[in-house]
Amino acid sequence: MERQAGELFEEFQELTASEFFRKNKQMLGFSGKIRSLTIVFHELITNSFDAAEEAGILPEIKIDLKRLDKDHYVLRHTDNGPGIPKNFVTKVFCTMFAGSKFRNIQSRGQQGLGCSGCVLLSQMTTGKPARVISGYRENGELKGVQMTLKMDVKKNKGLVLERKKVDVKSTGVCLELHFKDVSYSLSEQGAFEYIRRTMIANPHAKIVFRDPTGHKYIFNRASAVIPPLPKEVLPHPKGVTADDLIFMAKHTDKRRFRSLLTSSLSRMSTKRVNEIQELTGIDLNKRPKDMKWEEAEQIVDLFTKMDFMAPPTSGLIPIGEEQIEKGVVEILNPEFVAAISRKPVTYRGGVAFIIEAGIAYGGDSGRMVGEQRKAEIMRFANRVPLSFDQGSCAITEGLKSIDWKRYGIRDLESAPITIFVNIISTQVPYLSTGKQSVAPEPEILHEVRQTAMTVARKLQKYLRAKKAEKEEAMRSKIFEEYVPVILKEAALLAETDVPEYQPVLAKVTRRALAELMGEPIDDD
Amino acid sequence: MMTRKEIAINKLKSLGETIIEDVSQNKVPAVRVPSRGTSNIVYDENRRHYVLGDRYGQRSLGNVKQIKKIGQMVYMANFCKQLVEREKTATLRELYYVSEGWEVEFGTQDESNIVGEDLEVTLGMTREDLGLMPEEDGASVYGDLTIKEDDLEINALRSGKSGYTISPTINEVEFVDHNVQRVIAVETMGMFHRMVQESAYKKFDTLIVGLKGQAARATRRFLKRVNDELGLPVYICNDGDPWGFHIAQVIISGSAKLAHVNHDLATPDAKFLGVTASDIIKYDLPTDPLKDIDVLRLKELLKDPRYRYETWKMEIKKMLKIGKKAEQQSFSKYGLEYVVDTYFPEKLEQME
Repeated sequence: MERQAGELFEEFQELTASEFFRKNKQMLGFSGKIRSLTIVFHELITNSFDAAEEAGILPEIKIDLKRLDKDHYVLRHTDNGPGIPKNFVTKVFCTMFAGSKFRNIQSRGQQGLGCSGCVLLSQMTTGKPARVISGYRENGELKGVQMTLKMDVKKNKGLVLERKKVDVKSTGVCLELHFKDVSYSLSEQGAFEYIRRTMIANPHAKIVFRDPTGHKYIFNRASAVIPPLPKEVLPHPKGVTADDLIFMAKHTDKRRFRSLLTSSLSRMSTKRVNEIQELTGIDLNKRPKDMKWEEAEQIVDLFTKMDFMAPPTSGLIPIGEEQIEKGVVEILNPEFVAAISRKPVTYRGGVAFIIEAGIAYGGDSGRMVGEQRKAEIMRFANRVPLSFDQGSCAITEGLKSIDWKRYGIRDLESAPITIFVNIISTQVPYLSTGKQSVAPEPEILHEVRQTAMTVARKLQKYLRAKKAEKEEAMRSKIFEEYVPVILKEAALLAETDVPEYQPVLAKVTRRALAELMGEPIDDD
Repeated sequence: MMTRKEIAINKLKSLGETIIEDVSQNKVPAVRVPSRGTSNIVYDENRRHYVLGDRYGQRSLGNVKQIKKIGQMVYMANFCKQLVEREKTATLRELYYVSEGWEVEFGTQDESNIVGEDLEVTLGMTREDLGLMPEEDGASVYGDLTIKEDDLEINALRSGKSGYTISPTINEVEFVDHNVQRVIAVETMGMFHRMVQESAYKKFDTLIVGLKGQAARATRRFLKRVNDELGLPVYICNDGDPWGFHIAQVIISGSAKLAHVNHDLATPDAKFLGVTASDIIKYDLPTDPLKDIDVLRLKELLKDPRYRYETWKMEIKKMLKIGKKAEQQSFSKYGLEYVVDTYFPEKLEQME
């Protein structure tokens, strides 16, 4: 029996974001037990960092992970950020795509999915509500609220099960979530390694972590400098699409399209606008909403052919060489460390980015594989560790394409080194929704290589000096051991006495005679 | 004139003296050791044997890699000096074990053997002069030769059917008397016993020397001494193949490896009696075909300066042409006595 369209469309419905992600949780990164837990840590930690830094507070986080049963954990995450006003608590934790980071700004999180995604996972796997305590200031007064929340997936909204005022000692958020189908692991992809790497890229933060065995790890602050807040920058003409232009035209309060262009894009001068008008023949004095799709396409096409100044880089805040070195020293306690922060450049003609790299040798550098330490690559994007999908990542590819032998590292795999690479950008070109690997744009590959080679050269210099020093010491030892006995034997052969040989010994060991004779050496 | 013993002691002592002298003058001592690489071994046309060229290596007290070597040389020199002074000898193996007590011990015996050679070339003396003896005995000698080893007189005609065995200390042996005209050295002990049984020593007024394959250093020193000191001509009779040729040639012109002591070992006037390729044809001897390795070796010999004389070249080419080789003992095809009754007389007449 044939069915009419109307019948079929009775079942037509709108899917809320929450419902969508409930069915597609892998798109939030929740795939696999180990990965799911790491992503939870990632979302909560980055949110806390961003919030604290925006409020000008040095981030300090306490994480307690308890195992209730196999694959069943309770996570309590407490930060010292500015807190969340009580009216926003449900939005932050129970509404997907609600947030303050939809701007063209360098930040760790970007889509407003983080916290609500974690709540969703908790609810999906355990059916248990989330418990939140938020301490915040209102009109200078410290207030505290405790809430028990569930997510109404159908409506993409929060359900408050319980709400009461509480006394808090300071601002900050404490979140308690139950999870099943997750697993705590010490592997490279696990939650612990995620914290460790986070601390290297964020030496201004402090994290206290109690693992499921009850062991308490304290990752101390290596630096007391809060990174400056990145500024929002206007998009560069080479980085926009026709759709972006039409979108801007629809939502602007400008009266003319030309003033929309100069106010919404960077490096867009009146002179350039006139050029565009001349070359395309489009009247740019018309009202923005009269802009046609074809015309927008024509303009964007022209953008790719025109010369613009490189995009402003004021929006990019790198970690910085000194801070990277501090972070590395604090966590890896290496014998040698070097870091480089390159100047900003662009990919795809209009998106500015900075590559920073550090290299650590010895100490706790490298990862233990059996008895041996092997090289490890730590990838970061805007200070956030990238734990998964390393194979196709521009950072991995760039590093692997380097001829490490030229830098005195015979085999990258089996050297006790840690290589740290961070990409800073307002738009990191991720390869997939999981945001775990950086697209191998040619400019990014080039910068990764150049940066890594620069630090590798410094390591090579160190290794050479170390080898030379060792050889020098061995040399001296050999001479000091053999010269006396050989000369004794030679004197016996010549049937004479052993002559004074200290000057000759000094000559061959290239040591000062005074030192050989055990005389004090003047340090001045 | 100084005895070999006095020369050895003086040379060993001087090695120590140069080192001490340098140190007294605040100079870093270094010993120059003639290089024994193949590129530094040259054939000396006048002396008719191989000698070392003029390239040197250094053993410096100021070089990490060389200091142990120079130390080992000094220790070894002291050990040798004591041996020579007390008129004792030690084998290379014994030396290696003695060296375990030194501050500059050797890793392997090969290493100590090499330092031994260093000492030989540096001082220009054979290791026998320095009291170091090879493990193996030399050849067997049968015939009317009287020698004196220490206080013991030995006649090689009255030392049993296997004759007198040349001792590694052949340098110390004194030739007292003899009643022979020549020396015939043969490659195998089989041929040696054949000649003893057939009274060849009487027939040819000769000493019979059983080389037992490649001649030991002591054997070569013996042949050199009887040739030099007693003025006896030396004839060598080996298998008719490239290996037999070369056993003879090493006795005549010395080996490349021992270029530094060839002046004490080579007997340039010794003559190769046979078996030649011509003999194979002339006496129609039972043969084996040349193997690939034989052909290869013959071709190598053609390029060797020791084989530059026309007679050698001709015989080698002839053997390559017929593609055959023959053993010494193949003469027994014509009866056991044939070699002594017919072959040797004909050949000796030809050569003398």
